Amino acid sequence: MMRRLGIFAFFGVLLTLYVQLLGPVRQVMEQRPFVEKLGLIPHPQALKLLFPDFRALLGATILGRVTLYFGGLVEHFDDPRLLVKAVDYPAMSRAIHTAVKLDPYNMDAYYFGQAVLVWDVGKYRLANELLEYGMRYRNWDWQLPFFVGFNKAYFLGDLEGAAKMYMRAGELSGAAMFKTLAGRYLQEVGKTEMAIGYLETQLAGARIASVKKVLRLRLTAFKALRQIEEAVDGYRRRYGEWPLGLEDLTARGMLAEIPEDPYGGRFYLTEDHRVRTTSKFSLTLGAGKKKKVDVTPEETLRDD
Amino acid sequence: MTEISFPIKIHGLSKVYRGKKWQRVAALRQLELTVRSGEIFGFLGPNGAGKSTTIKTLVGLIRPTEGRVTLFGQPAGMAGARQRVGYLPENPAFPDTLTGREFLALVAHSFGLARQQGLMAAERVLDMLDLTTAAGRPIRSYSKGMVQRLGLAQTLLHDPDLYILDEPMSGLDPIGRALVKDIILDLKAKGKTVFFSTHVTADVERVCDRIGVIVGGVLQAQRDVAGLLREGVEGYFCRVSNCPDKVLQPFGYKGRDDVVQELFVPRDRFNDFASQLFRSGGSFDLVEPQRRDIENYFLSLVRQAGEL
Amino acid sequence: MTLLGATLKGIFRDRVFRGLLMVLVVFAAIPAVSTLSMRQVVSLCLTLCLSLSSLVLLVLALFLGGTVLWRDLDRRYCHALLSLPLSRERYLWERYAGIALFLGLSALVLGGMTWLVTSFVAAGYPPGRPILWTVVFGCIALDLLKCLLLVAFAFCFSAFSTSFFLPIFGTIAIYLVGGASQGVHDYLRSSAATDISLAVRRLADSLYYLLPNFSLFDIKLYAIYGLPLQTSQLLLSGGYFLVYTLLLLGLSGWIFARRQIP
Ligand SMILES: Nc1ncnc2c1ncn2[C@@H]1O[C@H](COP(=O)(O)OP(=O)(O)O)[C@@H](O)[C@H]1O
Ligand SMILES: [Mg+2]
Repeated sequence: MMRRLGIFAFFGVLLTLYVQLLGPVRQVMEQRPFVEKLGLIPHPQALKLLFPDFRALLGATILGRVTLYFGGLVEHFDDPRLLVKAVDYPAMSRAIHTAVKLDPYNMDAYYFGQAVLVWDVGKYRLANELLEYGMRYRNWDWQLPFFVGFNKAYFLGDLEGAAKMYMRAGELSGAAMFKTLAGRYLQEVGKTEMAIGYLETQLAGARIASVKKVLRLRLTAFKALRQIEEAVDGYRRRYGEWPLGLEDLTARGMLAEIPEDPYGGRFYLTEDHRVRTTSKFSLTLGAGKKKKVDVTPEETLRDD
Repeated sequence: MTEISFPIKIHGLSKVYRGKKWQRVAALRQLELTVRSGEIFGFLGPNGAGKSTTIKTLVGLIRPTEGRVTLFGQPAGMAGARQRVGYLPENPAFPDTLTGREFLALVAHSFGLARQQGLMAAERVLDMLDLTTAAGRPIRSYSKGMVQRLGLAQTLLHDPDLYILDEPMSGLDPIGRALVKDIILDLKAKGKTVFFSTHVTADVERVCDRIGVIVGGVLQAQRDVAGLLREGVEGYFCRVSNCPDKVLQPFGYKGRDDVVQELFVPRDRFNDFASQLFRSGGSFDLVEPQRRDIENYFLSLVRQAGEL
Repeated sequence: MTLLGATLKGIFRDRVFRGLLMVLVVFAAIPAVSTLSMRQVVSLCLTLCLSLSSLVLLVLALFLGGTVLWRDLDRRYCHALLSLPLSRERYLWERYAGIALFLGLSALVLGGMTWLVTSFVAAGYPPGRPILWTVVFGCIALDLLKCLLLVAFAFCFSAFSTSFFLPIFGTIAIYLVGGASQGVHDYLRSSAATDISLAVRRLADSLYYLLPNFSLFDIKLYAIYGLPLQTSQLLLSGGYFLVYTLLLLGLSGWIFARRQIP
């Protein structure tokens, strides 16, 4: 009888202690710094040498971790100003570069790099390097040249390079749509429209909630931009002259109010009557952000 | 060429084990031994004498450091030499995931028995060793004695001409020991050759034709058991009646009050005593030979070898 | 019953196959995990299936290859088995064949599971590129060959070792080195490695040619992304496996036949 009681007491005490520990354990794990949460990722070359059989699995695991990590920050997305503080972009960039070194065919890496990393941080050249690395392996995939072309045309102003990429995407997909894209980029008006089209395509294909949220945010920004651009055009048509500033649009009733840039920037009018935003649609380049985010990986990507 | 027919021929066998730290253990020294066809040979020796070493050399588990060992004229160590041999290892163990019956099927197959023949042989030996009920269970559920009996069954399976049994009686209860002795005698009746090791002298007396005593890796003696038993008689315990004390006194008899007259007469004086007894009108009620038994013989050899 | 049959039966009786079936439950989770992928659900599914198959075969190879001979010696089954009129080489090869057969069967089951799970996922998320089933099954087959080669190594180590330490950890070492050898070789050939001394290069080169090259058996990326594969590469891998394994088994037999079993 005493023995039985002793056994009950033994397991009872230990189980209670275990349950008591669960809360603190969860709290501590949730409050870890971001790098630790994302996990320190070993050097890709070392991983490749140690587990050559599992390189694809390791690549997928790293991306899975990035996706889960990014998805876990979804509550910050409502205020993008907080996002840049919450998200550890350099760590994500390193993880993505490690993943493509392990498995250069992994489309998730390129997609995530393009959809989230590039825009938010504004490293277009780095992004194109990543994508062009992927093009050497996924040589059947039209999406990669499509992304590169968009970055070149929209962000880097390299229309000739963009046209080449769209031709390549057209050849690979067999769709005629790309052939016309390069031409339309030559006009400023078409640019915003195309960006919206591009984002809407991406959004339609997106399946992960966090990515969807990011894309939707961006789409909102571009729709705001288009609204202002349309107002500027309308102003010119009605009054026969360009507005001197965006205040003219509200003053003369073309717009009820200037839409807000969800990236925390401020829309303004350039000398040549184009609408720009101080944030450049990037979280790190946005107004008031002095923080410089370095997402360059330790090593450049090269074939091996 | 007659030598070839000897079931076992060991010539100049020495074995040195290389133990830990390059230590060398001379387990056998210059062993000479021949076992003739149809013979039951008991290999007697204390623990660590080298019995198992000899036997493992015979079945090719270890190689001799020196010397030549043949089975029916074929060098031991070749797989073919074991075709006519049934071997029971010391403290045997068998793949314990198999059932007894499956293991016997494996043995039958390796001896080249046809399937049907193997099945029949298996049932025969299982029955002989009282394992039929357990035969369908995995060996891991067997008791020590059952495993030992399965080991014996396995040696009998293909009806070999030579049986090499390493301590066949160890791990068995008295009933099992009696069974094994009966089996060995049965094999003798069939003209088979049996070579078995033991450290228990009582096992030897009833069944062996010949014994070899090994102590400290050296074969001390080989003896014919019948001769040993005859020679071993040291005198007779006698109970006589109507005998005058003066006849008895030279044999150390001290007069006693009661009627029963008992005394010990050494072997070499027995004839003398008997004639005196009859002359004086006495008679024998009982005569019992008093022998120095194999146990004593064994102990004296061990003592000689300086191991006691 | 042959020793091969007994080996196979022993493995089943040790409930290894039941263990394998338990692992198959993990396959059921793969479709759900695959949907975590943003752009390549089927590829992720194949990655998971093939990696899991690879891992299971590897564990089986290490476990069975490293313990079967060792257990015979340690529990002294060898005394009963090797005193039968069965040559040591024959004993060793039949044991090997038993393990090989079991691994083959496991590969078949894993391949079936991969086919089942991937087909199911592909029905829900049509893949961008067609799945090349021959390459997928070829990938599992090559994984199997690699594991059989590892078992041969484990046997070679078991042939002279008394503990299971060398067979298991030696084989793990061979697995790691054999996997890395091509990578190291390529690195030493690249421009990044000009300052590495000649002695180190020589050593790496001799290891590269002496030890097995498991990169030859790794076509996972081909299978996952449906990249076309030349049949000649498969044939080359098969030939390499055959020659290397026969060499190892011959060597193991030679060593084991000379071994003392006291
Ligand atoms: N593997 C071994 N390594 C070293 N010494 C051994 C080994 N096997 C047996 N010996 C030694 O050889 C001698 C003979 O052993 P063994 O033949 O087993 O004796 P028995 O069977 O007569 O009891 C013993 O002294 C024993 O310690
Ligand atoms: Mg012994």
